[in-house]
Amino acid sequence: MNESAANAATEAGNVASADPKGSTGEALVRFRYKWIPTHIFGELLSKPWIDNIVPATILLLVVAYFGSTVPNFFLHGNVMDGTRQIGELGFVVIGMMFVVVGGGIDLSVGSNFALGNILALALTNVFGLPVPVVFVAVVATCSFIGLINGILVGYFKLRAFLTTLVMLIGLRALVDTILLKYALTISAGYYDDDFWYFIGDGSVLGMPTSLALFLVMAVAMHMVLSRTRLGWHIMAVGGSRRSAHNAGISLNRTVCISYVICGSFVGVSAFFYAARLGNGGSYPGVGLEVLALTAVIVGGISLGGGRGSVVKAVIGTMIVQIISLGVVQAGLLSGAGQLVLGLILLAAIGFNVRWVKNQDKVLSRVYMSPTYFDLPAAPSTAQEADSPYASNDRLGDVEVIGLDQVDGAEDIVFDSSDNLFCGDRRGNIMRFDAPDYDTGRVFAHIGGHPLGMAVDDKDRIVVCVGGMGLYRVDQSANVEKLTDETNRSLFAIIDDSRLRLTDDCDIAPDGRIFFSEATIRFDMSSWPSDALESRASGRIVCYDPKRDITRTVARGLTFPNGITLSFDGQSILFAESWACRISRYWIEGPKAGKIERVVENLPGYPDNINRASDGTYWLALMGMRSPALDLALRVPGFRKRMSQEISNDEWLYPNLNTGCIVRFTEDGQIIESLWDKSGENHPMITSMREHKGRLYIGGIFNNRIGSLKLKSGDPNWTGPASYWGKA
Amino acid sequence: MRSFLHNLNQERIVFLLFLAIFVAFSVILPGFLNANNLVLLLQGISVLGILGVGLCVVVIGRGIDLSMVATMALSVAWALQLNIDGMNLYLALAIGLGGAVLVGLANGALIAYAEIPPLFATLASGACVYGFGRLALIHSDLVYVTPAVGDLTLLGQGRFLSIPMPVIVFAVIAVIVGLVLRYTKFGRFTYAVGDNYATARVSGVPVRHVILGQYVLTSTVAFVAGITQAMAVSSMNTRISDTLLIYEVILVVVLGGVGLSGGRGGVRNVIVGTLLIGTFLNGMTILDVQYTTQNAIKALILLIAIIADTLVNPRDEQTAQHGDI
Amino acid sequence: MKRYWKNKVRELCGRSAKLGLAAAVTVSAAVLSTGTANAQDGLNDPTLQPYFDTFKGKKVGYVPFSMSFDLAQGWLAGMQNQADELGYEIITRDPNWNTDVGSQAMNQLINEKPDIIVYMNPDLQSYARILKKAQAAGIHLVAVNLKSVFPTHYIGEDWQQNGVEEAKYIVEKCGAGSGRSGKVSIMQGILTSAASAYQLYGVMSVLNEHPEIEVVSNQSANWDASKAHEITQTVLQQNPDLCGVIGFWDGMDIGAGAAVKEANLAEPVYVVTSGGGAKEAACDKLMDGTYSAYINYDVRRMAADINSVIKILLQSELPADMKTFLLPTPAEILTKDNITASSCWTMADFE
Repeated sequence: MNESAANAATEAGNVASADPKGSTGEALVRFRYKWIPTHIFGELLSKPWIDNIVPATILLLVVAYFGSTVPNFFLHGNVMDGTRQIGELGFVVIGMMFVVVGGGIDLSVGSNFALGNILALALTNVFGLPVPVVFVAVVATCSFIGLINGILVGYFKLRAFLTTLVMLIGLRALVDTILLKYALTISAGYYDDDFWYFIGDGSVLGMPTSLALFLVMAVAMHMVLSRTRLGWHIMAVGGSRRSAHNAGISLNRTVCISYVICGSFVGVSAFFYAARLGNGGSYPGVGLEVLALTAVIVGGISLGGGRGSVVKAVIGTMIVQIISLGVVQAGLLSGAGQLVLGLILLAAIGFNVRWVKNQDKVLSRVYMSPTYFDLPAAPSTAQEADSPYASNDRLGDVEVIGLDQVDGAEDIVFDSSDNLFCGDRRGNIMRFDAPDYDTGRVFAHIGGHPLGMAVDDKDRIVVCVGGMGLYRVDQSANVEKLTDETNRSLFAIIDDSRLRLTDDCDIAPDGRIFFSEATIRFDMSSWPSDALESRASGRIVCYDPKRDITRTVARGLTFPNGITLSFDGQSILFAESWACRISRYWIEGPKAGKIERVVENLPGYPDNINRASDGTYWLALMGMRSPALDLALRVPGFRKRMSQEISNDEWLYPNLNTGCIVRFTEDGQIIESLWDKSGENHPMITSMREHKGRLYIGGIFNNRIGSLKLKSGDPNWTGPASYWGKA
Repeated sequence: MRSFLHNLNQERIVFLLFLAIFVAFSVILPGFLNANNLVLLLQGISVLGILGVGLCVVVIGRGIDLSMVATMALSVAWALQLNIDGMNLYLALAIGLGGAVLVGLANGALIAYAEIPPLFATLASGACVYGFGRLALIHSDLVYVTPAVGDLTLLGQGRFLSIPMPVIVFAVIAVIVGLVLRYTKFGRFTYAVGDNYATARVSGVPVRHVILGQYVLTSTVAFVAGITQAMAVSSMNTRISDTLLIYEVILVVVLGGVGLSGGRGGVRNVIVGTLLIGTFLNGMTILDVQYTTQNAIKALILLIAIIADTLVNPRDEQTAQHGDI
Repeated sequence: MKRYWKNKVRELCGRSAKLGLAAAVTVSAAVLSTGTANAQDGLNDPTLQPYFDTFKGKKVGYVPFSMSFDLAQGWLAGMQNQADELGYEIITRDPNWNTDVGSQAMNQLINEKPDIIVYMNPDLQSYARILKKAQAAGIHLVAVNLKSVFPTHYIGEDWQQNGVEEAKYIVEKCGAGSGRSGKVSIMQGILTSAASAYQLYGVMSVLNEHPEIEVVSNQSANWDASKAHEITQTVLQQNPDLCGVIGFWDGMDIGAGAAVKEANLAEPVYVVTSGGGAKEAACDKLMDGTYSAYINYDVRRMAADINSVIKILLQSELPADMKTFLLPTPAEILTKDNITASSCWTMADFE
């Protein structure tokens, strides 16, 4: 422990001294941390959709304000008119959103809209074409304008702002020229078509036609942006042009497509507008680019690309449209609308900028949420103590296997042919051949960090891979993914369906694989954060190979780690590291599904558990408790401040420098412990496996495997035989 | 030839375009190449040119000011309105100028301190300026210049040594801003900030103050442009905030070669861009071409200029700055 | 005129209240002591009270294209005065030059079911669909200053006639016998705007009969004074012997007038324009020589017409789809020589 942690420990003492054990103050602290789930704030903040909260709040405020101050605001006709226009504007905003997310901007939407509008009117009023033909023609024309933008910006790499600006001026001139020649013809024409009226004035399921189609398209576009290759490419190009280029994404094509999408959506919007108003004047579309841009920004979509969603575009559209409607309806004077929109725009963008900049900082301050945890005083491990934990030097003369050949063998396992397998933090499964285990070789490469392992009845190795899930490797070194997800908890805020930190596994006689996931709140590399929290956020999951389904069987465990099947096959024993205890989970029999405690108040943090040859169990303690940390566990506020105020390498968290191996009986009696006092050969222990009278020892930070001759071990006992009855 | 092509930049391309159009008009339009007409040509673009010179300061600093036209219209309209309502002319002008400076300060603060991208900050502030001004400061869109302003009208309608005053105001503003950019610490810092904000900051440039200064300068120039325009046409129509004028100003600035990505160009580039537009407009007016056709032709010429620049100076994916649009 | 009506109505109101009281006293007196002569009490006009009752609770919507120009403000001030006197409500919506917002405003008003909507078209087509809907909803529609392709009642300027008057003035000054060059410049508004197009038609119909008039420039200044200034300057440069400028709106032509003044030519250049006759836009500019003539469609007169129409429609039981009528406002040519103190209006006239 370094100096700052020591200082922090001193401070913990100061803080804790105010609330001695059993006092009312401590009872209050315990109550608060038990019943007030403040950690959900952090989990909420970590969700990607939380970005929407700002525009959504603005939207609610706007609706509440106008709803309460403007009479007739919620009048059915007004709502219908308003939502009809939300549908129309929404198409343009979604189009603009695609371009902005792709890192561009399209100022020509207003003129393009005017072109689409006048074309639709000309085709209906003058030429009397059928509505579907008109629709296709308008959308195709506007898409073509988008294509020109796209080719200029995407392929010729012109600056988007200037190019679309020029397009805005040029197209507007074109529209005016058309109007000068044909305005009278267009407005004099008459087009009587029920379908045309339905598009302009009709409704679907009580919703205006434009809104109904808009909602459908919004859902579709959400899928496109968030779940298709095109959407990801647009996001990637907007997020980092250079990285996308270097990753082999065609910038030219992707950018071009975003403008074509924008153009086509503008066309759809113009089509609805033409059908609703039949306005052959020169005003339609004037200033639309500013309105659409405002909606995009108020919705929280960043200029410069890479951040944005359809939901944000929809919310932005609603805010802008409701404000402009509300201001008119309130009978406010000229200027009020612009003023209100400008102020909301400033507030929204100001907040958005701050949010993007500080989100990670806020999240890291808020996410960590230590809880109250009370451990009794640790049993003494002093050499002279009258305790089974008393330290000794029985691991002092441990032999070393595979020195510098392995890196981080968290667990070790033997197949029925006595070959040794271990994980490696480079993502490999290493194999040391029997009988002398001299040299190791990479048996299979999986990735992640292979942790706990087990051997099944067909001599296949089942392994928990941290960061990836549950895998199986057969004797021919074929790697097979068993599962990497489980059922999502009903009320979980964070998505707990993915397996983040699968830790250890064991196999029941019927083939079901029980494995632990240490925590659902942190990734593997952040385990110190989970230790500091000491929150019960781990679980035990069962994979049933027969039905190929994965189900969470026990939740709310404090860093569940080692798992082993009891000798009778009726229950599994599992270690909860930060809670310093061993529990039993019944998988069969009358108590199936129940959990009971087996060993409590261990002097260190338990890791893997494995069977011993005499019907007892080996348990690895990966690190020993310290009084300072034990005390800090009762003062969550102190740990919270520590997490916020000092860097994480100076936190007070379990040391994994030295540990020991203990043996306990089925009913939880500690029999003996094995230590390496000198700390030369094998001080850091995360697992041990008994095999033919020797104990093989693994450590997650070690560059070796330990091997120790057991005095009392059965020289013929092997794991596979104990589990599957093979020799 | 190769080295000639190599030396082509946007400014030269536009200058060549300008020369081409100028020569063409001189040949085909009888009344074009004539001292009086050339003076009128300059007068026609002087307000646009003043605005362009003002805007180029923020563009060089890698910003943009979409609120510039609104600031111009509303600050001047406010001053005129105060004068109409009985306030002393100079006090009214000082208040109008104060309003413009305040807008500049607000823009600068939003961009430098709140770190809002300039495009959005000024888009919003432009809406606020127009909205607030229209709502609270003036009674109707059009504010007339009354005889109470006295000799100030000479600023728009007078001549000095037979050169129209707006041209002189344009020249004076161009010289002042040019000198500021080239010879003052603030000017050099503006280039530094525009070229590379982070480097400027770690080099000890007071980047935030420089940005604040840029926007105040731009707003001040906008006020001068507004006064010149109001005096020339005896009125200030605040609806120009809603027109494409701001886009024209941006084009004039960028066309001459002031890069939107900052750090490049100067007042000279703005003058080149303004001359191209001015020559074009003047010739088109003589030709009696309608503005819709004018705009279509103008858009085409602008597009050619931008494409030519991009072809001669292609964008490099590895060195392009992210977030440029 | 306005003031007269205001006082007149106020007088009527006061008298009717007194009469009502008197009538109540009379009736109760009559019940108590049969037969007192009402010779001293005067005669109660039985139509007066119903007349006032007609307007109670009535709503009139008002949607100009924008509230921020002199005409719209003048109309509203006139309408508001009468509404206050007669006790009906005026609901104002300000689209601020935006057709979309205007359409929204019209739609919202229809949903709120006023009895009459007084509106100003942004152009011939924009509101056509909405107007049809409004009429179907039983709302009387009164257009001011610009008609729509959908026929409704109309009060206001006859644009074409306006153009004719302007052209006639210029022909008189620059045509045969004037000894001038006959060169004329026409300054249009936004090309697609109907007001501009109608005026142009009127102007051309006159000029075509006068071959001695040469149109040297016929351009649009987009309702923008600085653009008009620029164009006029260039035109004057190319044609120093220009005789007249025909403009379509005072707010724009002030730029043309300034250019003419600035050129300071030996021979006068006649600038004729049209507008609503606000003092600072019309009379002041005529006096300082910016304009030579000004076709004035008097806002006070239009406001009075609007008020009459409102009164009639609110009292009538006519259906909304009745035959429409037109009330063109007679235009009057103002020049420096014929203006009087009351030729132009200010907002004070409505207070």
